[in-house]
Order: sequence, then C-alpha cells, then structure tokens
Amino acid sequence: MVLEKSMVVAKTDLKMALDVRYVKYSMVVAGGFGPVMAILMVVSSLLLGIPELLSIMVLYASSLIGLFAIMPASLIAANALVGEKEQRTLEPLLCTPLSDKELLMGKVLSSLIPSMVMIIVGTFATMIAANITLLFLNEPFMIIPDISGLVLIFGAGPPMVLAVIAVMILISGKVTRVYEAYQASGSVIILFLIPMFLPLASMQNEMLNPEAVWFSVLLTVLLGVSLMVITWLIAFTRFNRNNMVQLV
Amino acid sequence: MEAVKSTELRKTFGDIIAVDSLNLHVSPGTIFGLLGPNGAGKSTTIRLLSTLLYPDSGTASVHYFDILEDPVAVRRITGVLPEEGNHTHYDSLSAYENLEYFAKLYDVSKDKIHTRIEELLNFMNLWDRKDDKAGELSTGNRQRLALCRALLHEPKVLLLDEPTSALDPIAAKRVRELILNLSKTYGQTFFINSHNLAEVQRICDQIAIINEGKILISGSTSELRATLQTEQEYRIRIIGDVDYAISIIEAEEFVESVEAEVDTIVAMIKNPIENNSILMKKLLDAGVQIVEFAEEETTLEDLYLQVVTGGDV
Repeated sequence: MVLEKSMVVAKTDLKMALDVRYVKYSMVVAGGFGPVMAILMVVSSLLLGIPELLSIMVLYASSLIGLFAIMPASLIAANALVGEKEQRTLEPLLCTPLSDKELLMGKVLSSLIPSMVMIIVGTFATMIAANITLLFLNEPFMIIPDISGLVLIFGAGPPMVLAVIAVMILISGKVTRVYEAYQASGSVIILFLIPMFLPLASMQNEMLNPEAVWFSVLLTVLLGVSLMVITWLIAFTRFNRNNMVQLV
Repeated sequence: MEAVKSTELRKTFGDIIAVDSLNLHVSPGTIFGLLGPNGAGKSTTIRLLSTLLYPDSGTASVHYFDILEDPVAVRRITGVLPEEGNHTHYDSLSAYENLEYFAKLYDVSKDKIHTRIEELLNFMNLWDRKDDKAGELSTGNRQRLALCRALLHEPKVLLLDEPTSALDPIAAKRVRELILNLSKTYGQTFFINSHNLAEVQRICDQIAIINEGKILISGSTSELRATLQTEQEYRIRIIGDVDYAISIIEAEEFVESVEAEVDTIVAMIKNPIENNSILMKKLLDAGVQIVEFAEEETTLEDLYLQVVTGGDV
C-alpha cells in the first residue's frame, strides 16, 4: 500500500519532469553518451594505432557514464522537491492522507528509477556499441567498460544518485527556485570526477597504473557511499511534515 | 458530536500570535463562516484544522478525529481549498490529470475516479477544458479546479479559504448553490473563511468573527444582531404634518436621533425590540396616520465593522 501510493507520486513527478525540455534532453544526451563515446574511443584508438589510449578512454567513459546518470536524478529531484515549493502545490499535497513515508518514498523513486534505468541500459548499450565496432574492425571482444569501470558505475552510481536526492531534500528548505537547486546539486557531481584525475598522476610510459585506477575507483565508491549515508542521516531528520509545512 | 471542535487552540509564529485560545464548535451539516480582517488568523485556523500546522497548545478534532493523534484520518475526511487555491495546481498537468492524481492520493476507488472527475468538471463547466494544462486556465477556472479537487473524495468536512475569490459572479453563485446543496443533501459541513460578507450572510448558518487570533463573537446572523444591536434605525412614512410627528418622536427618551426626508421620518431607536411598539402606539394615539413603520435592515457588514473596529471606520 505504501509503495502503491509512492508510485503514484513518483509517476506524476517523473511525468512532470519529462515535460521540462532540458530534463528530457539531458536524459537523451546522457543515455546516448555511453554508446557514442564507446564507438569513438574504439575507432580512434585502433585506427590511430594507439591501443594504450583505449584503456585511458575506458576509464573516462566509465566515469562519464556514472556522471551522466546522476544529472537527470538531480534535475528530476529538483523539480520534485523544490518544484512543489515553487508551484505552491505542497499545501494541497500535504492535505491528502499521504503519510510522510509514502511522500518521501515517492520523491526518491521518481529520481532513482530513471537514473538506475539509465545506468543499466547506458552501460549495456555502451558494451554492445563498443563490441559491434570491434567486430567491424575485426578485433576481439572486450568488456567495455572494464571491470573497474563497472565497479565504479554500479558501486558509486546508485549511492551518488541517492546522495543527490538527499541533497535536494536538504536544500529544498533553503532555495525557492528549481534552478538554484540544480546549482547546489553540482557539488555531488564533482565527486565523480575523482577517478578521472588520480590515475593520471601515476601514469608511466603512457600506461595507466592498474593499482591507481582501482584505488581511485574504490575511493570514489567509498566517497559516494559515505556521502549517501551522511546526507540521508541529515535528510531523515529534516523530511517531516513540520519542516515541509514551513516551505508552504 | 461536533463536525469541528477546537479547545484553547493556540499557534504562534515567533512573537506573532496567529491563533489564541480558539474555541470553536461547529455542528455537522452546518455552513460555518469565519470572518476577520487580513492577518486575523483565519487561514492559520484552516491550516491547523487540516493538520498542516501543529498547534503550540490546545487541541482540535474533526468528526471525533483528533488533529494531533489521528491526522491521517482527519485528512481523509476533509477537503481543503487553500488560500489562493487557484495558484496550487501542477501547471504542466491537464485539469483532468491534476484531479486524477489527487483522486488516487485520496483513495478514490479506481472504477469511480473517471465518473467523479467528469461529474465535478461538468458541474464547474470545466469538462470542455479537461485536457488543457492547468497553467493555461484562467484564474477563475483554476479556482474552480481547486474546488473540484477539494470535493473529489466526498469529504465530510470542507475547509474552504476564500472559495469564491477570483470567480466571476455567475461562477460564484454556482459555488454558493453547490455549498448549500451539498450541505442540505449530504449533510456536509463547510468551514468557510471569507471576506465577502454578503456571501457569508447569504449562505452561512453560523458565523464567527475573529481578530488578532481571538474569536470576538459567534452565532447566527440573527443572534449576532440580537447581541450587538443596541439601537436600530426605523423609517416611518406618514400622511400629514411631519413636524408634528417629529415632535412626538423627539419627546421619547429612547429616541437617539430623528431626521425628516419629505414624508418619511428616519429615527434611531435604542432597545428597539422593546421600544418600537411603544413609539408606534404614541404616534397612533396622537392621531398620526402611519403608512409605513419599517426597520432598516442591519447588514452583516454593519455588525462586522461594529465588532472589528467598534464602528469606527
């Protein structure tokens, strides 16, 4: 029953978010990024005759797939939480028999579901696109993103998405406009840039140090999980009717 | 059982006392009007009763359900039209989708949702606009849509904050008729905040006047009149010598003032219930031919101004 009501909220929030042009386009761009990037990196590294480039680009692609999955979450969560305040729809919503738990779950699901779909579909689409390209180039099959990339995408992606939603809950009491919320969510996205830079520092002879790659990936996952736990611990104390009413 | 009951309800915002020791008793089926100037505490009262705000002290209940102990049950049986309700829609959803969303949240059974929405939109003359986005509707239509939302789940108690504001006279009349009809047919209780005194006088069974968070007076219009009215203006039309009639009227101690308007005398009489018959008898005994002896109707506005401003406007 809780889930049923929450899904009603989530579906409506998602529908409204997709009516916003830049949310819709950002999802299209984010979804299509992985496969396009895969084709380009395979073609460029093999045709240019620099196979080492592929391992570096795979790392970047993994980070960017994760990063692009967070962006729609931040946009949808901003619309779902701060948008209620901006449109003054929170008061009638709080007058319904919806419990705080149902409302919270609905708001989380509206951002989490599309982001998870994008992470999963985007990753597999990237794998397929990369391997079709390899097939055309008569090259053997590869796991692209590689194992460390998959750990990064599936280990850090979902916690980061949840952290973005929690950040939105926290800032929804502070900001009045949706675009202000978009800006604030950017701080979480920056964490996903860590794996792009750390391995570069340990590069030797244009080769990535696998240990440095794994270190940066695990560090990002750890930061993502820590951020998720911290933001949600605070968000749980803030997400209650008394606080929400003050937004009305 | 009372449809709405509050006991010593108090709500403050910082140093501002929005609602102070509020005691209300509204019987089921009553159309109750809460009147008061801006910032008097009317909207805060509705927000407290709709469980949107927690009181600092005191308690309230809606059909036995305590607003603090069982807020979900209270929300299930109340329909709320918030202040400036026309601004509280999801603009990117159609009128129909807005109502469908809230119908699901209010647990309207799936097989009844369409019928109920169609019924309400038709009643409010909005069915033809059902697919229009709420953000594209006119202010009046948005207000009607907000009313539809409040009525969706056939609540026992309706808490309406300025229900006819932003409506044209025809739509406002339809809403008043709807309120009267629902109250009469289904025994729904209406708790209405309004600035429109004529409207309140026309439809409300019970009225309370609130100022600075306190109820100053409550009762039916006639009860308010009886309580507040210590003097009454009468129009006395006669045939014959007006000056002679005035001299008889002026001689009475209970007459506050007398004025002549051609063949009509306007007299202000203290304690009118006791004294109007005495005056009429005096005039008749003096041989004055009375054509009309009529009470000037005291409007709710007169009473309201008397309570809120002490008549000093």
